[in-house]
Amino acid sequence: MTDTTDKTPDTGQKNIAVKDAGQKAVADPQPLLDVKNLSVTFSKRKGESFTAVDGVDFDVRPGEVVGIVGESGSGKSVTSMAVMGLLPRRGVTIEGEARFDGTDLLTMPKQELTRLRGGDLAMVFQDPMSSLNPVVTIGKQMTEVLHAHRTISAKDARDEAIDLLRRCGIPDPARRFGEYPHQLSGGMRQRALIAIALACQPRLLICDEPTTALDVTIQAQVLELLTELVRDMGTAMIMITHDLGVVAGLCDHVNVMYAGRIVEYAPREALFASPRHRYTHGLIDSIPRLDQRRDQRLTPIPGTPADTVPWSRACAFAPRCRHVTDACVTDAIPLEEVGFEHRARCVNPASDAENSTQTSQVMASGQMAQEESE
Amino acid sequence: MSENLLEVTGLKVHFPIRKGIVFDRTVGHVKAVDGISLGVSTGQTLGVVGESGCGKSTLGRAILRLEEPTSGTVKFNGQDITSLPAEKMRRLRRRMQMVFQDPLSSLDPRQSIESLLIEPLTVHGLAESDLEKIGRDSPANHRRKALNMLELVGLPASAMAKYPHEFSGGQRQRVGIARAMICSPDLVIADEPVSALDVSVQAQVINLLEDLQAELGVTYVVIAHDLAVVRHISDRIAVMYLGQVVEEAGSDELYEKPYHPYTVALMSAIPVPDPVVEDSRERILLEGDLPSPADPPSGCRFHTRCPWAREKCSQEDPELREIEPGRRVACHFAEEVAQKIADDREVENERLAHGAEAPQTASNG
Repeated sequence: MTDTTDKTPDTGQKNIAVKDAGQKAVADPQPLLDVKNLSVTFSKRKGESFTAVDGVDFDVRPGEVVGIVGESGSGKSVTSMAVMGLLPRRGVTIEGEARFDGTDLLTMPKQELTRLRGGDLAMVFQDPMSSLNPVVTIGKQMTEVLHAHRTISAKDARDEAIDLLRRCGIPDPARRFGEYPHQLSGGMRQRALIAIALACQPRLLICDEPTTALDVTIQAQVLELLTELVRDMGTAMIMITHDLGVVAGLCDHVNVMYAGRIVEYAPREALFASPRHRYTHGLIDSIPRLDQRRDQRLTPIPGTPADTVPWSRACAFAPRCRHVTDACVTDAIPLEEVGFEHRARCVNPASDAENSTQTSQVMASGQMAQEESE
Repeated sequence: MSENLLEVTGLKVHFPIRKGIVFDRTVGHVKAVDGISLGVSTGQTLGVVGESGCGKSTLGRAILRLEEPTSGTVKFNGQDITSLPAEKMRRLRRRMQMVFQDPLSSLDPRQSIESLLIEPLTVHGLAESDLEKIGRDSPANHRRKALNMLELVGLPASAMAKYPHEFSGGQRQRVGIARAMICSPDLVIADEPVSALDVSVQAQVINLLEDLQAELGVTYVVIAHDLAVVRHISDRIAVMYLGQVVEEAGSDELYEKPYHPYTVALMSAIPVPDPVVEDSRERILLEGDLPSPADPPSGCRFHTRCPWAREKCSQEDPELREIEPGRRVACHFAEEVAQKIADDREVENERLAHGAEAPQTASNG
């Protein structure tokens, strides 16, 4: 249902004009956001500093949905916070560059960044309760954005906000406009948050785990809403999540992060059909699927996300990898091209043969899993 | 269904809503669990799924009488435990244990793992089967049992001297499971046992729960919101909506042929980590949110969000009826819904078969 090729914005019934940037769609080779060699290091007064993001490169083209997948602690949220300039200045060193439309967000004067954020750059956070102000009405929080970025009369702002709430699927938007966040249910709060983010028709929307706090039926609603809005408005989107299922249905390209580095980058079809990096491979293998044979035993990834070695010494995933070799202990494993638009940072990548048994969900995979666990 | 270890009949848990400062009066009830009947036979796993607020956790707690049921009975091994006096109930708790969602908040941060594991043994003593194997109750034997248990859940013996904060989430959950299993219970209720864990670690804990069941023969009630997880470890699944069971079936049958519209919607809402499936399947979007359990809708509780709702649904409350042997569903039009879903799948499969070499991963189960 989410057709990857169909990115032509459909403005027919929508009464909000689509910005020029969106209409260029994926054909535009110029990336909207180009992150190069981004590193974020947290330093403590005493003790070692910690590199949460370690030389991350990715780009987002207009109208494209890019996924960043990883477990807790993989640095996916820190990446987005760094791009948005939301990390505290103190004790944090950010290196590299993040070019938005040609200008580097990381070195931009604060005033300029403030003008961009909420306007061309918007973000949806995971927990709508803690990212909405509990003592300000939904309506005020929405019109606030409009007033900050546009010259607009109070009445027009109100009308536009109500219209946006309605488009985000909030029933009775005129009443909700005057209500406080606690009066809304979780799903509705997330919709309100999305409405706020979309208020100025951003060109890039960063969603940091937008559905993690929601129930599956509500999650499906919110994802559907995001897909529609992105398609209609031509907004580019970065989808940060730990849920491979969400990625499978939504993203055009996926970056898999592990311990601060991107370990695999691929179009979603290739990522799921033939994951190369052992971590991605293991992750896809370890998730119970609804359409799987029930007696098939899961193949977990051993260890925990905390069992990592610094990238400077070896592959960070090596302690948990079932296919670790001596070659894994090297300081610079490059992100190598392994297929069309497909890159993996692995010296011993999974082969097609291993992948075919995995994806077709046949019994052989179950046997393979047993052999592996022995 | 004759020798059920656990038999729940008409269980209700209503929480009063109180108002007023001087005069405490009850203005209504939150019907968290509203008339649930379920049975679990020995050595089997019953999965309970539903969205947050559907009462699945309350059901689990009410079975163990951590929450006093308002009415209805819970029979454990043929014995009604709802009216059992406190001391007898306490003794019985050795045989019915619970694994909680968040092991960090359910384990005392100031107790070492050794002390955490031995505590249930000090309270209840070793199980009869262990008395033969390990010997009589004594601190040394308790320690031995604790070490055995640690090994069983895959933790090193060095863990004994550590404290909960020194472990990762997955390891902590292993401690939680070891603590629940150490008295060799017959029944373990696991409330969201993996939802607080990282994706790559979830599979480890799921496998551990399965291994322990194979080894110790315990009966599980696994409560979770993730249908994929529940389906993987359960023999039977009960789908809950607003305090009631709307469908109960064997896990495979439930997936192959869902009868209740809510089950259908729930399954279609779960994202599958496979783009081929994601692109091809029909998603049934439910509108709106879960209604308040304090004021449930009239008739069928699902009718406000049901895509197939008709007039009858808002007037008559459908009873949980046996539609096939071993399958119960609470829907007036279950047969029609199932037929419709089956037809859709057939069309979909045909389309896939004729399509350009689309892999047959879709809905063959």
